[in-house]
Amino acid sequence: MERTGSGINWKNLALLTLGVAGTLFWIAQAPASDDAVFPMPSGRLYAAECGGCHTAYAPGFLPARSWRRMMNELADHFGEDVSLPEPERLAILKDLELLAADNPQASQRMRRIAASIPANAAPQRISETAFFRFMHDEVPNHFWRRKKIGSKANCGACHIRADQGRYGEREVRIPPAD
Amino acid sequence: MRAFERSMSRRAAGVVRLALVLPLMALVSVDMARANDPRTILDAYVAQAGSASAARGERLYRGKFTGGRTAESCTACHTDNPKAAGQHVRTHKGIDPLAPVAQRDRFTDAAKVEKWFKRNCNDVLGRECTVQEKADFTAYMISIR
Repeated sequence: MERTGSGINWKNLALLTLGVAGTLFWIAQAPASDDAVFPMPSGRLYAAECGGCHTAYAPGFLPARSWRRMMNELADHFGEDVSLPEPERLAILKDLELLAADNPQASQRMRRIAASIPANAAPQRISETAFFRFMHDEVPNHFWRRKKIGSKANCGACHIRADQGRYGEREVRIPPAD
Repeated sequence: MRAFERSMSRRAAGVVRLALVLPLMALVSVDMARANDPRTILDAYVAQAGSASAARGERLYRGKFTGGRTAESCTACHTDNPKAAGQHVRTHKGIDPLAPVAQRDRFTDAAKVEKWFKRNCNDVLGRECTVQEKADFTAYMISIR
């Protein structure tokens, strides 16, 4: 009176295990819904020159016209003279233009950023763009004043992989209160 | 037979070890070729300035100035302790320690040292540093143990 194919037997256990393992694998592999990964310039130049004093921002945060203006005004860069030798300036500008928010190759997210900036504006502060403010509207003011954060320019304080262009919510660690 | 096997496996281990060590040695030699010793950089400044004083360098490091637009002293960003990590006064980005004893790659790349003297002297003094000041400052940083 042995019935095969149902009940607890080795075959069904194996199938169940396989199914569960497969589902778990699929869940682990799926990209986070908030995956905000921006392309970064390759090589060391951008990180060394632009990332020396502040976060090496993802070029996709601003349209190319913003970067062109910025790279033309390096002698007065938010009050500091950060002039570069011409070959380096041009190499960085090329990367910025290629990875800017309004490049035809840009990702959906970058294009949304580009679309939120008026065509006649070339914003210089990422933190003043509508997209930035929208994404950070739940961050209370006193968070920004924490010693480890201190400034809206300091992306890396909370976005621990900002140097790789990774801004997903799962990769945010907010430094504790002082 | 066993002896043969053992000698073979020893030879194999030797090959593996060589394969592991060779690229490492190549890396280290490339690294040494590129990176200068902090002393080399100091010597280059002393050759131009004639002398260097760590005490004068420390006074420059701790001095308060009014010429620059970013900060009034080196310590504003680099803290009172050159062995400690600092923080940019405006962007708040973390800064590695300045003293080579605490941060191995400091004062090993002459072009990088020049670049930051140029920028930071402007930031604090509102002018470029003299060769004498650079020599003194480098001497102070190297003297920190």
